[in-house]
Amino acid sequence: MSLRTSISPPAVAQPPIQDAPSRHHMWQRISPYIYIGPAVVYLIIFMIVPVVQGIQLSFTKTPLVKPDGGTGVGLENYSRLLSSPQFYNSLGATILYTAATVIFAVAIGAGSALLLNQAFKGRTIVRAIITFPWAVPTVATALIFSWIFNRSDGVLNEVVGVLGVGQQGWLVDPKFGMAAVVLTSVWKVMPLVMLVVLASLQSIPSELYEATRMDGAGALETFKAVTWPHIAPTVRVVTLLMTIWSIRRFEIIYLLTGGGPVDTTNTLVVNVYRQAFSNQELGRAAAIGALGLVLSLLVTVVYFMMERRNAAKEA
Amino acid sequence: MTTQEAPPITQSAPHKRRLKAPGNRSFSKPARYVMLAALVLFSGFPLYWMLNTALSEDSELYGQAQGWWPHWERLADFGDLIGSVPIFKWLTNSVVIAGGTTLLSLIFAVLAGYALSRFKFYGKGAAGFLLFATQMLPEALLVVPIYALFASLGLLNGMGGLILANVAFTMPVSVWIIKGAIDAIPYEIEEAAAVDGCPRVTILSLVLTPLILPSIAAAAVINFFDGWNEFLLAKTFIAERDLWPASVGLASFIGQYLTSLNSVMAAALLFTLPALIFFLLVQRRIVSGLTAGSVKG
Amino acid sequence: MAKLSLRNISKRFGDTQVIHDFSAEVDNGEFLVLLGASGSGKSTLLRIIAGLTDASAGDVIFDNLRVNRQSPRERDIAFVFQSYALYPHLTVRENIAFPLALDKFKGWHHIPGVSTIARRVFGSSKDIVKQVASVSSMLELDEYANRKPGGLSGGQRQRVALARALIRNPSMFLLDEPLSNLDAKLRAELRGEIVRLHRLTGKTFVYVTHDQVEAMTMATQIVILHNGIVQQHATPQEIYVRPANTYVARFIGSPPMNLMTADVTDGQPALGGLRFPAPEQLRLGNGTVTLGLRPEHLTVSADVDGPGLAGTVRRIEDLGADTLIGVQPDPALGLNMWELNQDDLLWIRQTGQTRLMAGDPCTVSPEARMASYFDSDTGLNLVSAGKDSDAGMLPTRG
Repeated sequence: MSLRTSISPPAVAQPPIQDAPSRHHMWQRISPYIYIGPAVVYLIIFMIVPVVQGIQLSFTKTPLVKPDGGTGVGLENYSRLLSSPQFYNSLGATILYTAATVIFAVAIGAGSALLLNQAFKGRTIVRAIITFPWAVPTVATALIFSWIFNRSDGVLNEVVGVLGVGQQGWLVDPKFGMAAVVLTSVWKVMPLVMLVVLASLQSIPSELYEATRMDGAGALETFKAVTWPHIAPTVRVVTLLMTIWSIRRFEIIYLLTGGGPVDTTNTLVVNVYRQAFSNQELGRAAAIGALGLVLSLLVTVVYFMMERRNAAKEA
Repeated sequence: MTTQEAPPITQSAPHKRRLKAPGNRSFSKPARYVMLAALVLFSGFPLYWMLNTALSEDSELYGQAQGWWPHWERLADFGDLIGSVPIFKWLTNSVVIAGGTTLLSLIFAVLAGYALSRFKFYGKGAAGFLLFATQMLPEALLVVPIYALFASLGLLNGMGGLILANVAFTMPVSVWIIKGAIDAIPYEIEEAAAVDGCPRVTILSLVLTPLILPSIAAAAVINFFDGWNEFLLAKTFIAERDLWPASVGLASFIGQYLTSLNSVMAAALLFTLPALIFFLLVQRRIVSGLTAGSVKG
Repeated sequence: MAKLSLRNISKRFGDTQVIHDFSAEVDNGEFLVLLGASGSGKSTLLRIIAGLTDASAGDVIFDNLRVNRQSPRERDIAFVFQSYALYPHLTVRENIAFPLALDKFKGWHHIPGVSTIARRVFGSSKDIVKQVASVSSMLELDEYANRKPGGLSGGQRQRVALARALIRNPSMFLLDEPLSNLDAKLRAELRGEIVRLHRLTGKTFVYVTHDQVEAMTMATQIVILHNGIVQQHATPQEIYVRPANTYVARFIGSPPMNLMTADVTDGQPALGGLRFPAPEQLRLGNGTVTLGLRPEHLTVSADVDGPGLAGTVRRIEDLGADTLIGVQPDPALGLNMWELNQDDLLWIRQTGQTRLMAGDPCTVSPEARMASYFDSDTGLNLVSAGKDSDAGMLPTRG
């Protein structure tokens, strides 16, 4: 193929060509594994092995005091769970808690992002105040809300007292337990929704707004035509994250109500913990855990299927 | 650090520009102010109430209505304020646990982030999936088997074991943050270093690490406060009161009234304040890190 | 000291082959320019020599050692990047000292943390400081020594990159379009600088560029690449005077060589009735041949009755010392302009100014003995083509 005209003609007699010494080549093949290896091995030991062990554990009857001395019971843990009303109550509490928290957090969070995307005096301070709760450690959150919700001396009862309502046991009355827990959770996680949606809103080029305004579109039309299509993917992602995180949220519920009153907030993760460390039944706890994992996976799979359908629609 | 520097963490510049941008005007003015006021009240009040409770007289708390304004003069005698809550011991434990978690997590993250950013290798997809999927695993579901594992390894009731467990949960996010940062560094700089005589490990330590320092710092803050706030593993693994981190220590006061609530709230404020300050500093970075890490997969 | 041999180098990225069977021998001390348009494979070839990219097939040989498996640092080369690739977190002084400091590293100095300290300690050792100072002053960088690259202009940055390459005293310098990001004036200045460094060091330079001016002014030999295939490997003069094929003829020279299809009758090429003396080496029968004339080998006059090709002046570009004149040949001549000629004009270069105006009728006369002849099918130069392309010697057609 080549059309070359060599300046130096190919030498007739040359000394034999040898490979230069090098350790480089061998290293090049293994070095990626040296870098990725520690993290992968670590995650296998501390994440994958426990998951597998947890599943194994769910087929045993294992007391807390002897975590490695269980006896195999086959599917008994599962069959007992699936026939116990307590489990369905726990599942229901999880779904109710998740749905309520996600709906309120996403609605309020996205709403505040829309509000904060407009220019007004003191916006930086307002945004900071709305962001604060996200940074407050969960334990501190539980501490302050349990005081606000306190039956005899809490400020919430002080306020409703002014309105003429008598003292309520916000955290001990089955009517209010879930609402109190959801309120606290929304307070804590809403800022993240707000920040993520706000970031997305701020990436909308202002020319788009100018164009629709020149077309004489009203506020609602502008929202439908420009704002929503732009932020919708972000809202979907943040909804997925909020859902997964709500299914697995433990601390706020455990610290505020411990799963009560009368098991109304006994979500799956709280249930796992109580089975393991109060009832000392590691096997049964692991079985609930495995079912909870299936629920999380289900949500993720549904989400990705919806995303694929959306992508297909757009294409 | 000049040309390659990642965008600053603070949020000043883009916002000032945005103020003049038209934005959307979906709400009328008075309605907007009413809604904003409600939001500020909702988000701000509990924190204010924490401060107010910490700075209130013992006598106010029980039986009679708590005053609406904090007694600022109580700040003067801080020791009194904290009372018998051993918060400084617990905070020290928290610092050790959070610091250890951060250090270990970052070492893994820098190495793995580098591999994911710069190498093509067999099994890369699987490693990426592992790092993505483990973020989805709920702590509370893993706590039982991890407890069983640690019990058999004799790692319970010590800060070391707790750090090891924490890292498994904090590391994946850090890997994605570091990977993103290395992706943004031009590859030629690395090649120049290779020509100049650096093996991979030295490229990473002498050239890349200084260049991604802002991202490493952000990841460090995130890890530190994950460790700082962590409650479940600590409560499960550590029984001894003197080894508790502040999160477990403070939680032990919830629903019990032997210790004055104003002291507990003052301690809780001390526990909250560092998190508040640092999180606001790196807020933007955390948001983009979270979305990047979880959306990319 | 290294003699560079490239033997049958091929490179594919997935399904695309970017380098086809490249071979070349480069003696020590040569200044080889790899010249080609973007996508020609020239940068890939340079990266293969450096060890930054692996060849799919073929050998890279320094003297008599095959270095295919060696890392860049084991090859003892210096590489200058188009993007400068300076270390943004280090000062100019530290950037220049970096390779020398690294040379002093022993195994354990590479331990993270230790390396940071080791670089600083070695970097401030007496001998390194002295060398840095001398290289800095040679490249006029003294006053910027404590600045970071971010505070330098493009030209200054590339000087720093050159200094960093120079200080290692490598066996070979590899430069990948080092001047492309600079403005014209700086480019000319640094061109002189690089030639000076080449003379000073006496080392082999391999220089990649798409700029023919850089190639012609700096190279001792040029390789012209097109789509991963070598078009010609020769001295700049040879390439200009005897381009190996029509691609090279059009690629080198500004404006490029005028190419036209000439009819050959009984071994005698003719253009619009104008007969050209067939060179002795040529044995032409009947058919066509592609005839090439550089703009400076054409003259134009307002004398419409003189001998030559009649035409009309269409464009005049006054460059000051030279003037370029674009002439549209009289259609009655039936002149078959080669498809790639710009605007279908014959371009003429003449020193000084012209009195001709656009629209004037004129006559173009070629300096017939300077014409180049190319096979009208293969595009190969019928005169210069060496032993390799004997097939090109039989151009007859029809």
